[in-house]
Amino acid sequence: MNLHPMKLVTIVCEAYAAEPVLRLLGEVGAAGHTAFPVEGSGARGRRLADIPEYANTQIEVICRPEVAAVLLERLAGELFPRYGMVAYESDVRVLRPGKF
Amino acid sequence: MSEALLANLLSPAVLFFALGLVAALVRSELKFPEPLYSALTIYLLVAIGFKGGVAMTEAGLGRIWLPALAAIGLGAFIPLWTYPVLRWGGRLAPVDAAAIAAHYGSVSAVTFLAATNYLTAIGRSYESHAVALLAVMESPAILVGVILGKRALGPRGGVPVPLGLIVREALFGRSIFLLLGALVVGALCGPAGMRKVEPFFVTPFQGVLSLFLLEMGIVAGRRLEDLRRVGPFLLAFGVIVPVVNGLLGVLVGQAAGLSLGGGMLLGVLAASASYIAAPAAVRLALPEANPTLSLTSALAVTFPFNLTLGIPLFDAWAGYLYF
Repeated sequence: MNLHPMKLVTIVCEAYAAEPVLRLLGEVGAAGHTAFPVEGSGARGRRLADIPEYANTQIEVICRPEVAAVLLERLAGELFPRYGMVAYESDVRVLRPGKF
Repeated sequence: MSEALLANLLSPAVLFFALGLVAALVRSELKFPEPLYSALTIYLLVAIGFKGGVAMTEAGLGRIWLPALAAIGLGAFIPLWTYPVLRWGGRLAPVDAAAIAAHYGSVSAVTFLAATNYLTAIGRSYESHAVALLAVMESPAILVGVILGKRALGPRGGVPVPLGLIVREALFGRSIFLLLGALVVGALCGPAGMRKVEPFFVTPFQGVLSLFLLEMGIVAGRRLEDLRRVGPFLLAFGVIVPVVNGLLGVLVGQAAGLSLGGGMLLGVLAASASYIAAPAAVRLALPEANPTLSLTSALAVTFPFNLTLGIPLFDAWAGYLYF
């Protein structure tokens, strides 16, 4: 099977940050994403997801390596100072590279 | 007073809230699915907004503008006096003081609902259109608090945030949009529309409120362990400031021509602290502020206080003032 290398960028952020993150995805040219509500704990304590506004959102986006680099850089520069969030990238392989 | 206090403490709404607190404290598995929480919120806001809108057509706008102006003024004034108290009394960082001041000037819809529930239970009449006061009192304090915080952060103003976003969040957050929308729908429908939806929006209201307060008890209870992190000053602040604001609110309500029940409701609004609208707007506009401080004191201290003791207290104060 012919698989093509791509980057998966995962962003876990407070729900308030979801909208600016999605806007940023559009600006850097990442096509498509998946978002879902999550709960858990981190360096700054628990994040209870009992009220939607207080919840965390996990956003996943698959994109080309050069897009992932720009995305992470802009996340760190523009949104990390403002919101509680973590972001990381990992290597994935996809079947249809044209989609990303 | 003690009779009214007991009646309030033994009402289904307050007892279910207490049950939720207990569930959280004993770490029960009890948990509401998130969509149910959202559904109950929508129901309560639409029901109260619609009822208020219908009442507005009956009362006419002439009766509402002065109390509404008073509510807006009160909302804007509360952060102005609480900010210095937090800043110098509590030695809090300027941006935290501004954030907390915004929360306390803004209002809690559920506290308001519980107060109307209380008035109904003791058979005291009130202006149903007072819900318009709830709608207009949500935003002014948020805007004042944000301005205080931005000024305190100095000329750089901390992390830059587009002003349009802040105003949109303060004026058109989910709850205020629904509440104002339902007010308009109710005002357009009038009493004839009310007869059509009464079995759904009025009769089950107390039951839905009780269910919602059970969930709020769990939500508040799960944050009780954060109390250790906010310190004794904010604990005291979370009880004393609502009392001062509540007494002031009833005075202002009386001066603005509200009835005894309506004045008591304005007192409750002044005493309440926002834990939905204000956190969202403040998080956006003042990301440097520590959200644990404002949210814990509003949700785990002030909300339970108002629900149990504050409401009968402000009613007793209103009774004293009006006679």
